[in-house]
Amino acid sequence: MTTFSEQSLDREELRNGQSAGELPSTEYGLIRAHVFASLATLLISALFGLLVATKFNFPEFLGGHAWLTWGRLRYNHTQGIFFGWLGNAFLAFFYYAVPRLANRPVLSRKLGWFLFCTWNFAVVLPGWVLVAAGFSQPLEWAEFPLVVDVFVVLAFILMVFEFVLPFLRARLSDLYVSAWYVIGGIIFTMLAYPVGNVVPELVPGAQGAAFSGLWIHDAVGLFVTPFAVAIAYYVIPATTRRAIFSHFLSMVGFWLLFFMYPLNGTHHYVYSAIPMAAQKGAIVASAYLGMDVILVVTNLLLSLRGGSGIVGRDVPLRFVWFGVVSYLLVSLQGSVQALMPVNRFIHFTDWVIGHSHFAMIGFGSFIALGGIAHFWQRIPGTRYNERTMNWSFWLLAAGITLMVADLTMAGLVEAQVWESSAPWIDSVRSVSSYWLVRTFSGLPILAGFVLFWTSLVTGPRASAESATAALREASENISVFEGNASIAHEPSFSNRFSYVHVIIFGAGVGFFALSFLVLAILPGKELADEIKRVAPVTMPTLTASEQRGRVIYGREGCAYCHTEQIRSLAADVRRFGAPTEAWETKYDYPQLWGTRRIGPDLSREFNLRSRDWQLTHLYNPRLVVRDSVMPPYPWLFNGSASQPTQEALDLLVHLQSLGRARQLSGLDGQPMAASVQPETPDMAMASEPSARATPPTVPIPMTGGYSPSAPVLHPASDAGDLQEEVSRGAVLFAANCASCHGPAGRGDGRASASLLPKPANLTAARFSDERLSSVLWDGVAGSAMPPWRELPTEDLRALVAYVESLHTPSAPPSTQDATILVAGKVLFSANCASCHGDTGSGNGPAAAALAPSPTNFHLKKPTEERAWEVLGNGVPGTAMPPWQSQLSKDQRHALVEFVRSLYGTPEENSGQ
Amino acid sequence: MINLIVIVVSAAMFAMVLVWWRWPAFRTWIEAPKYFMLRQEQRFDDRNATRTASLDL
Repeated sequence: MTTFSEQSLDREELRNGQSAGELPSTEYGLIRAHVFASLATLLISALFGLLVATKFNFPEFLGGHAWLTWGRLRYNHTQGIFFGWLGNAFLAFFYYAVPRLANRPVLSRKLGWFLFCTWNFAVVLPGWVLVAAGFSQPLEWAEFPLVVDVFVVLAFILMVFEFVLPFLRARLSDLYVSAWYVIGGIIFTMLAYPVGNVVPELVPGAQGAAFSGLWIHDAVGLFVTPFAVAIAYYVIPATTRRAIFSHFLSMVGFWLLFFMYPLNGTHHYVYSAIPMAAQKGAIVASAYLGMDVILVVTNLLLSLRGGSGIVGRDVPLRFVWFGVVSYLLVSLQGSVQALMPVNRFIHFTDWVIGHSHFAMIGFGSFIALGGIAHFWQRIPGTRYNERTMNWSFWLLAAGITLMVADLTMAGLVEAQVWESSAPWIDSVRSVSSYWLVRTFSGLPILAGFVLFWTSLVTGPRASAESATAALREASENISVFEGNASIAHEPSFSNRFSYVHVIIFGAGVGFFALSFLVLAILPGKELADEIKRVAPVTMPTLTASEQRGRVIYGREGCAYCHTEQIRSLAADVRRFGAPTEAWETKYDYPQLWGTRRIGPDLSREFNLRSRDWQLTHLYNPRLVVRDSVMPPYPWLFNGSASQPTQEALDLLVHLQSLGRARQLSGLDGQPMAASVQPETPDMAMASEPSARATPPTVPIPMTGGYSPSAPVLHPASDAGDLQEEVSRGAVLFAANCASCHGPAGRGDGRASASLLPKPANLTAARFSDERLSSVLWDGVAGSAMPPWRELPTEDLRALVAYVESLHTPSAPPSTQDATILVAGKVLFSANCASCHGDTGSGNGPAAAALAPSPTNFHLKKPTEERAWEVLGNGVPGTAMPPWQSQLSKDQRHALVEFVRSLYGTPEENSGQ
Repeated sequence: MINLIVIVVSAAMFAMVLVWWRWPAFRTWIEAPKYFMLRQEQRFDDRNATRTASLDL
């Protein structure tokens, strides 16, 4: 009896001009070329990843070279995995599978080699070099510069001709689900890629982010997922020699994926300025997609029913099985983390990094490796070494399991710290050990990839007998479809259904277009209207220097560690300030919202830190923040932090422009935006200063050296308690203050060389509780001293106690001679009162315009030596001039005695 | 809008399930490609086994 399949094949072959039994040719040379290219780029990309991970614990490692800085390596890591590894692996699979699935050869061998060269020598290689040289695009999964994007699109067009045309020439109703995934993946990625890569360059800020969100998800959903699932659907039946459980379910899963995946994109920007309707739509689609994945994975695993022994024996199938199980887990994880109660907690943390590694390695790479191993065993002249392949599997499985578990836990720890009022740097400190484990987990993964390659090139040459016997044995197990063949073969029946696939494909393209309409175009229009309505007419445009600074910020990968979006969440608002609104981003081409926080959000950086603090921080972050993991950028300087290049200055002005529009608009003085109202109960901890909703946006000028809004923190009066506070303060000081003020508080920390005014020598004056509390709470405007109000109150109090302990009481004033004090007062009134005020309270007529504000001598008593030094030399970086040439030694002596006599006198608060 | 999309997609899926359930001919037609794929696999493997044998010779 002739089966349906055989009749169908005969018919196809006659139509193709093939004689019955003749098989289409397979381009084995191209398969091998793409396999070797995929594995070479995989090893390089994985090495990039290992370097990136190492830099979390050793930020100075290879830190002096621009080409090897964290940001650029990170770009090349992800793009290398995406284009180099997975792209080549999928192409190799296409060359193997398309002739079998379409019963036709691929279009052209020459076209194939042209595609190979385009993909590797016009996309991957130049992309890496350009990114390393500083030409990139700061958009997630779109980091290769625009010039490379042109060749990516060209490559996808070539793929349509090479792989899709053979399918279209076949009978659509004969197409197996893997063929549909190949067709869908190529066409939808070809459509989505330019939109995700080019549109954000043309549409600013929040509107651009809506498009970016689509591509972030489409890169995984329309490129990695379809091709990986195509391989899984291919390898499982080809290995077990049994048909999949249900082709109907596989097609339902296929269409659901292409209908729902594009609608997921905005779930990367939950609680953002993008309209809530689009966010909720993406969340619903994410949940729907989870159900689809359950359907697909159930079908795949049911296809293995009764074949668990084969999974144990056949290493390629085991790779695929691991990938399929990972697909289920990572997709369900993705659906759950899109839900708002989860998203608010884990977004921006290492949890998401664990999720993406789970998707790209656990799911995509395992299936791609299984696919390569599967067909490597079946093409003439190649075999893998089973023992080495087995080791590769177990190393990779152990490495990715450890990495995902570690990063997931790290994410939860980070989230917990961010929810608290602890300083940002505490979140970095708390996950440092997790980052170390992550780096170590990369070693077995890299070793697994090396062994995989080794297994391919050290495989035994199969003998004719064994190969033929194995394939014959496998063929005998095929359950050839016979039931109802006559019904299926009826021409009238086939005609009736022949257009079903075309109609559904058209619907798929429609849904794809709909995703852009629903998640990008309509929200974009709404945002444009909002911007037109809300943006202040006086909103300053970006200067040329600021625009150059944005480019440098993008090329160094700053947006991968710092967000420029404050979400409408209590924890965000409390820490960083008012939520980012769309109008604030109207000049951001492309948007730099970011999807990850290792460092803090920078949306409100305007006026937050001094110029020299920023430059010192860029030159070497650990000079001012001891435990920072930020990479240094010495190539932006001429040898020292005080010698910035124009690029450093451009980057500086970009940083200092962030949040400027909002601050100048005066909106920050208003009550919180309505969009934050639902979160306000979380902020109802007003009795605890550290939990106040007012973020430390800028150091607040304190005329009179005291801020009435700051809580006054009095150290313990009990000697034992005070000693405990001092000890605690010493630890906090070493961790947070010593980099500027020096380990002993003498103002000689590592950063002091490039800071102006110099950090205070805390041993050279006696400070009141009020003065120290105010400085810790509000910072010192005009200096590098930032506000520290994010520290818990007890920590601030401990710091006050510790700093007060640094002052060694000196001998009483050398004279109490009233005539000298009177003379000093006269001199003070004549020369100093315009700044320091008549009574020395730092509130003279000129004080309001000065930053740092003039000293209030009722709250700060300099040592005699310090007073002499200041009168003699002035205070560089402040308005205090040297008086050595204007005043005689006796006059200066009188002034020293006078100002030192003011401390603690009743006028101390007169400056308020 | 998103409600509409979810309703349309859900309805389309239920419609497909309904067709599958009510129309055995559709079931036969939609399941046919998985056997076609296996048959192709057998044909290609047979050819490659022959090639491998000739390579060894």
